[in-house]
Amino acid sequence: MKTRILIANRGEIALRVIRAVQELGFEAVAVYETPDEMSRHILTADDAIWIGDGPRCDYLNIQKMVTAAKKAKAVAIHPGYGFLAENPLFAKVCEEEGIIFIGPHSKTVAELGNKVVARQIMAEAGIPMVPGTKNLSQGRKGIDEALGFAAQHGYPVMLKATSGGGGRGIRRINSDEEMHAQLPMARSEALAAFNDDSVYLEKLVLNPRHVEVQVLADNFGKTLHLGTRDCSIQRRNQKLIEMAPSHIQNKELLDTICDTAVKAAKAANYLNAGTVEFLIDQDDNFYFLEINTRIQVEHTVTEMITGIDIVRNQINIALGHPLTLEQKDVQIRGYAIEVRINAEDPKNDFMPEGGKKVTVYRSTGGFGVRLDGMAYQGYTVPEEYDSLLVKLTVHGYTWEETVGRLARCLNNFAIRGPKTTIPFYKNVVVEKDFISGHFDTSYIETHPFIFHYDEEASEGGKLARFIAEIHHSKENPFAK
Amino acid sequence: MRRIVQGTPVGEIAKTLREVTKEGRYYITNTARDLSQSDFKNRILLHTDLLAAPSREKAGYFSLEITGGASIHVDILRKQVDPFTKLELMREKMPSTMFQTLCRGANLFGYRPYPQNVIRFTVREFAPYVDVWRTFDFLNYVPNMVAVFEEVGRAGKLNEPCLCFSTGPEHSNDFYIKKAGEILEVTGQDVTLCIKNHGGLGTPRRIGRLVDGLKQHYPDVPIHYHGHNTDGNDIGRIVAAVRNGASIVDAGDASFTGFYGPPAILTVVQSLRDYGFEPEGLDEDAVNETSQILQSERQYYAPFESQIKGFQPTVQTHKLPGGAMGSSLEQAVKGGFLNQMPEILQEELPRVQKELGNYWSVTPGSQILWTTAVSNVLDGERYGNPSGDLRNLLLGKYGPFPFYKPEEWIYEKVLGRNWREVLKEEGGEREIPDMDLAHERYDLAKDLGYEPTNHQLVLYLQQPNDAVDFFKFSEEYGEVYVLPPSIFFKHGGFKTGEHLNYNDCHGKKHLVEIGPSPVSETGEVNVYMVVDHHQTIFSYKPEKRAGGVSEVQELTKEEILDLAKAGDIRSPFKGKIVEITVKEGQEVLQGDRVAIMEAMKMQTPILAGMEGIITTISTKKGDTLFPGAKILKIDADE
Repeated sequence: MKTRILIANRGEIALRVIRAVQELGFEAVAVYETPDEMSRHILTADDAIWIGDGPRCDYLNIQKMVTAAKKAKAVAIHPGYGFLAENPLFAKVCEEEGIIFIGPHSKTVAELGNKVVARQIMAEAGIPMVPGTKNLSQGRKGIDEALGFAAQHGYPVMLKATSGGGGRGIRRINSDEEMHAQLPMARSEALAAFNDDSVYLEKLVLNPRHVEVQVLADNFGKTLHLGTRDCSIQRRNQKLIEMAPSHIQNKELLDTICDTAVKAAKAANYLNAGTVEFLIDQDDNFYFLEINTRIQVEHTVTEMITGIDIVRNQINIALGHPLTLEQKDVQIRGYAIEVRINAEDPKNDFMPEGGKKVTVYRSTGGFGVRLDGMAYQGYTVPEEYDSLLVKLTVHGYTWEETVGRLARCLNNFAIRGPKTTIPFYKNVVVEKDFISGHFDTSYIETHPFIFHYDEEASEGGKLARFIAEIHHSKENPFAK
Repeated sequence: MRRIVQGTPVGEIAKTLREVTKEGRYYITNTARDLSQSDFKNRILLHTDLLAAPSREKAGYFSLEITGGASIHVDILRKQVDPFTKLELMREKMPSTMFQTLCRGANLFGYRPYPQNVIRFTVREFAPYVDVWRTFDFLNYVPNMVAVFEEVGRAGKLNEPCLCFSTGPEHSNDFYIKKAGEILEVTGQDVTLCIKNHGGLGTPRRIGRLVDGLKQHYPDVPIHYHGHNTDGNDIGRIVAAVRNGASIVDAGDASFTGFYGPPAILTVVQSLRDYGFEPEGLDEDAVNETSQILQSERQYYAPFESQIKGFQPTVQTHKLPGGAMGSSLEQAVKGGFLNQMPEILQEELPRVQKELGNYWSVTPGSQILWTTAVSNVLDGERYGNPSGDLRNLLLGKYGPFPFYKPEEWIYEKVLGRNWREVLKEEGGEREIPDMDLAHERYDLAKDLGYEPTNHQLVLYLQQPNDAVDFFKFSEEYGEVYVLPPSIFFKHGGFKTGEHLNYNDCHGKKHLVEIGPSPVSETGEVNVYMVVDHHQTIFSYKPEKRAGGVSEVQELTKEEILDLAKAGDIRSPFKGKIVEITVKEGQEVLQGDRVAIMEAMKMQTPILAGMEGIITTISTKKGDTLFPGAKILKIDADE
């Protein structure tokens, strides 16, 4: 029997992992909740196991996942991103049940998942960090601690959920009044979202660039970095456009950041693929932000510029193989940009278009183009899950070529039915600050006109209806 | 070569024209719009004009007449293209060529006078796209054109005021020279003065003498001769015009020339060359290239060519303008009175023309003459069924009669026995009050469900019902103007499996494959199509047909009149409801206006046949009614 690997996820990342598993000559086992029974990852996998009616609860059910893996005789589980990916308990249960968890040790997941512990580890290793507090005490004392920190470092400050991540559970505090009002709310929200009401404070770095480093570490003491990514273009801390490498011209700074990332990973005893995130302020100071202990949505841009299959390496590392790469083998070539084409209405606060059917789906192709997609003609945007239709990643030899390719690809796309983020991206790729590489995390706020576009009318569909009318009526009834 | 390009200051254009004319050279205007209107019922699609655009641009015309006249209305009504979009797309392909419009003065692009603020707003919105403004009034009444002149001047565009031309004892050189003086007093001399021979009337000698007379009086004013080839002799008139000093003449693309529009450009060039006149800046190869490109497109427009083929020397008698020939003949065919056309054209129309003051037979005056002549012949009683517009003409709403007034018996027929009082009370020019544009915009926004653009408002002010229909159509069917005529005008449906391989108006290739159209158990027809490799299905309910027409009632004219007297108001003819002017529960007196209907572009009031209270209104604005269809009911007042 072939080695089987279970993918504890859905959507495009499930497809991404299935591809890597099958390329290795292994068998991919998918799992699904009822709403996903017709999904593409089910059809693409070698085997699929139903885990419940869902929605969103069975994908989060550790026990069901482990049972499914055992039933499928899978030797390993790839958690993807989201769902159970950064749940230390899941990693721990896998370890206990003798199933390989494709990721770091559960202890690492736990430590790095706790932002305060993570900061401690990094501080000890001498990694530069944004000034911050430990977990704030409960009640009145916590508020006093918070006000004290703000008095020392000045507003604005960031109030963060200790167990948060991926941009969630973060709020900006501008004054003592806000602190009084927000702290209890942040706690109750954190409790609801992460089952942990701990929060802490960090000094807010104004309009920083968000730069992160992809790292790979094996069981044999080798830790490599695969260069930088820039995820500065964000909306409320959610990444929209990601690119690799960072467009920052200061090469020495980027080298230092990469070396620091490797140092940070080593300090955390990191195993497998991870991402070390940094903020860079306007004066080129950089600060450690966090380590993400999973494969990231935007890993594709790093794969494009390095030619290294990160997911394949994840599996190999997990199966106990040493990294065959050396740091000197990691060559960065050109630029890559990824955009998330979501079924969302950017003009309406990126409201998901759940329930809408994709009536026309035409995608792009050609040189330097990569699609990690889920959608197809006839696909219904799920109301139960995320609204990502396809990730478009383009690669070019120069920044200019890459932006031009991205623009071309966006123009090639024709998706009708739900509103999508495509027209929004189309405005970005012709915007002069983006073209010249001048952007930081304030980009979306400072370029509000990128939201000004006409809806992509489904001209093709409308015209077809008109032609059908001419056909059906035996003449153009409007031209008589 | 002194090509006059788009953007040249008006003073410089006039200066160049004067110089060029002195050197025995002339310019040509390609009157594509007039050709489309005269010989193809205005149906030439934007797709075809864009196909011709590159070679027309290269040809180096003085101007391309591409908008105005009836085209604005037909654009939105039958071709579903926004006239502004059309100009924008044309401009992209033709950056250098001046675009020309035909504007009916106070009647703009419609059939009755508009308020001053609407005229000015409309001109201001079109001015950025239109370089040459050919403006006329069917009574040659200068005050009707002043607002347009002023706005065009303000926008820095070229005014081309028109002398509408006709024949007859009153139409002397002295009259036209004096009229030109009146015009030039308002516009100044940096204009091109158009001799607007919309009927193609008079002999070459007559036109030559007219141009000569004008040139002698106004040597510095460039003359633009515009004619129609209805009698087959416009080239003769053009040659005579140029030999006597005209600077610009009108002609069309050979492969699309017909009988009622302009003659072929190169035939004009060849004829004039023999007399020693050369076309300035004209690339004759490019002219020829346009015709070659257009040649294969003509077949798709065959349904819109005149029902009667051949030149019409009789135009010298009936004087119908070339632009109205096609539509008049179409009406005769549709109305089933083609066999009465000789009587209408040769006897009644000339008679009506004389009776109504021998003014110029051009829009909207030509429609008044035509509908009056038709109704005089078909109804058996002359002036027995006068249109609302004829009434307005007699009341002087369009301006004063240029030569003489109709005889009193006609006033009596049209305005009633107490016509003198009516004339006193209602007669004469009265300034049309300005419209509240903000309110119109609000009404339109309410109708559309979104804030209209200025362009939309302009179209709405011209043709309120048709504009709203068009905007709603566009939401449902999109930009249908990208389609070629082979699809747009397809008759009889497509064959199953047929591949429609076409280039849209931007030159992009598309492939539509027509699938089967099975009928479901419930009678629904499902049309399967593959558009650019993607399958789509459209379902048609069994009863659904496009364009709602109210139920037909077989009633005679007398029955309709009798019913009206009993309070049952029916449609007296086939036409469209423009407005219901009363509300249910409203009290009316006999003779009160309860609705306005429109047929053959003429509006007619529908009057209350008795006194009473309006009870049931069974139709609404925009409905098309057959004769005898119910409009509303009046109950006798208790």
